[in-house]
Formats: sequence, C-alpha cells, structure tokens
Amino acid sequence: MTVMRDTVVKSLAKINIQGDENGLIPEYDVLVNQLPAALLNLFSERLMAAAPPERKATVADGLVRAAYECGYHTGCGIITSEAFNDVVLPMVTEGEKDILRGAFAAFTAWGWAKSGIVQLKDGERMVIRANDYYEADSGGDGLRAYMLRGLCQAFFDLTYADPYPNGMDTFVCQQTKGIEAGDPHGEFVVTKK
Amino acid sequence: MSLKLDFSLDNDTFRHYLNGHAVVMHSHHYLALMTKLAEEFDTIGGPQLLKDVVEESMWAVFNDYVTQNNQSTPLQRCNVGREYYSVYGLGKMKVAGTENGGEVCLIRSHIDEGWIRKWGRHTKPINHFTCGYIAAMFAVAFNKPAKSYTVVETASMAVTGAEGTFIVTLS
Repeated sequence: MTVMRDTVVKSLAKINIQGDENGLIPEYDVLVNQLPAALLNLFSERLMAAAPPERKATVADGLVRAAYECGYHTGCGIITSEAFNDVVLPMVTEGEKDILRGAFAAFTAWGWAKSGIVQLKDGERMVIRANDYYEADSGGDGLRAYMLRGLCQAFFDLTYADPYPNGMDTFVCQQTKGIEAGDPHGEFVVTKK
Repeated sequence: MSLKLDFSLDNDTFRHYLNGHAVVMHSHHYLALMTKLAEEFDTIGGPQLLKDVVEESMWAVFNDYVTQNNQSTPLQRCNVGREYYSVYGLGKMKVAGTENGGEVCLIRSHIDEGWIRKWGRHTKPINHFTCGYIAAMFAVAFNKPAKSYTVVETASMAVTGAEGTFIVTLS
C-alpha cells in the first residue's frame, strides 16, 4: 500500500483547530492562526501595487519567504504530529516519497491548495499541479501564488534536504502556470538551488 | 464565548470557511515575516498599508456577523471583534471605550509572542495588524464606516514582554 491521497485528505480535513483560553493555538510546535484568505490576498496585492517597479521582485521574494519559513517550521510539526502519524504513516511503504505524498494531501486538507504531485524525481525535482488555491482569487498581474511557491519549496526541503532544521534553502520553487493568470491550473516546479 | 461559530468545509475545493468567510491556517512565522516585510517597505507606507488591509478586511467580517445575528448594542457589536480575535488564534484582549475612543489591552498576542519567539524582543512596536483590527472593531461597534478611528500602539508586548496597550481615537 502507498499513501491513498483521498483517504488522507478526507481524514485530515475533518480536524478542527480552535484557540485555547488565551486565544492562542499552539499546535505543530508553532503558534497557529486561521485568518480570512481575502485579507492575506489583499495584503499581497496592495504591497505589490505600492512597490516601485525596481522593488516588486523584492516584495515577491519577501512574500515567498514568509510562506517558506512558515511551511518549513510548521511542516516539520505537521509531519511529526500525532494526526499525521495516525492517518498517513500506516500507509507509508515508499519512504520519503510517501511522506511527501502525505504532506501534499495535508496541504489540500488544510485548504492551502487542492493540489498534488504530478512528477517526482527523488531528491532532485518535483512538479506540483494545483486545481484550486486561494491565491488564485488575488488581484494583480502575472503569476502571484507566492504562498504556494514557498510551501512547495519548504515541503521538498523537509523531505529531501538535510534533516530539520539544517536543510533550509536547499531547493527552490518557481511557478510556471497560474489560474490567476488565465491558465487552467497552477503549476509549481521545485529544483535544486 | 457568545460568538456563534459555523466552521464548514467545501468538499470539492477543500477550502475552509468560518461564518461564511474563507479562512486559512498559517503559523506565527508567516505573520511575523509579513509584519517585517511591511516594515521593510516603510518608505512606501508598508505598516499603514498593513493596518488598512486588516481594517478593511475585518470590518467586512464583523459587519456581516452583527448584521446576520442582529447584534444591536455597541457592547454586543464590540464583543464580536474581541471574541473573533481569540477564535483566529490572535490572542486575548480587554476593551474599554465609548464612541469617542478608548483603550485596548492586549493580554496575549500571537503576533508579538510570535515575533519574540522568532527574533527576540524588538526596539519598537510592531503590531500594525492589531491596530487595523481594533480600528475595524470600534467602527463596527459604533456603526461607522472603516477609517473612522485612529489606533496607536503605545505599549508593545514585542518590546517589553508585558501586556500591550492601544489607544483609540475618533478620527
């Protein structure tokens, strides 16, 4: 048996996180928040629009970086969590490849993107296709799924780079297609830096 | 908590909703770095831009809730914003004030505590997000449009490690 994506997605999507008595959500070794997606999109859109042309790439890099660090640290907490162990690990038969499949099922279940791996070369290259993601609703020009780029890179680093926390910035992710730019789906390619 | 919470899931897209608004989970790393990014773009108004985005977005959420749930008094309407803050995982606040303004005490803070976890204490207030949030909360509480209140963080948890204070004035 390998990881059955639909089973994992359905199981993990049911998990509901809520604040404690202090209004904080300490989960996965981080403090979690759950904010309106429209707010996050509007921030990216407005900051990109406000930046002068010569600094737009710096804004984009900053948005990707925010998601990358979030994904790297939170992702480690997710793939070592009790929920992930209960749902995904019993299906793992192909080692790292299955952990990564499970991680992208979690990626879908938690509402970041309805996405999956379409090509994978162990430790070298991965192509992700996303058929729905909240950043597709953002305004602006061009490809702008900054959060997804950061998360794809983070999950590949967690799987194939040096063990956490020493594997940061080993791989890089580029977005090659985007629903927000008129493509039928989003596409994200992770390669060695 | 008196806030009604309707969490739902779109079984096709797997997007998550809270009271009809799409919500998504991230960590303190994300908000800390978003805050830092806004600060790095201070010359083009990054911190104010962050405040404005939060105020506009949260005003819409609070206004939808009070309208749909017939919350009519300022106390009821203000409580919506205060309780949502904790539901979002942003922390815990105490609110005092009138239509002319007031004071908000931040007892716990995802953003400040997240910043300290990531980089240690800072030299100046960084919680632009909560300034915008409080402005929206007061505007909806007193049935006013967004941009009706000015909020200044006068004591910062990110600086002192103790409770934060925000002063609210009618613009």
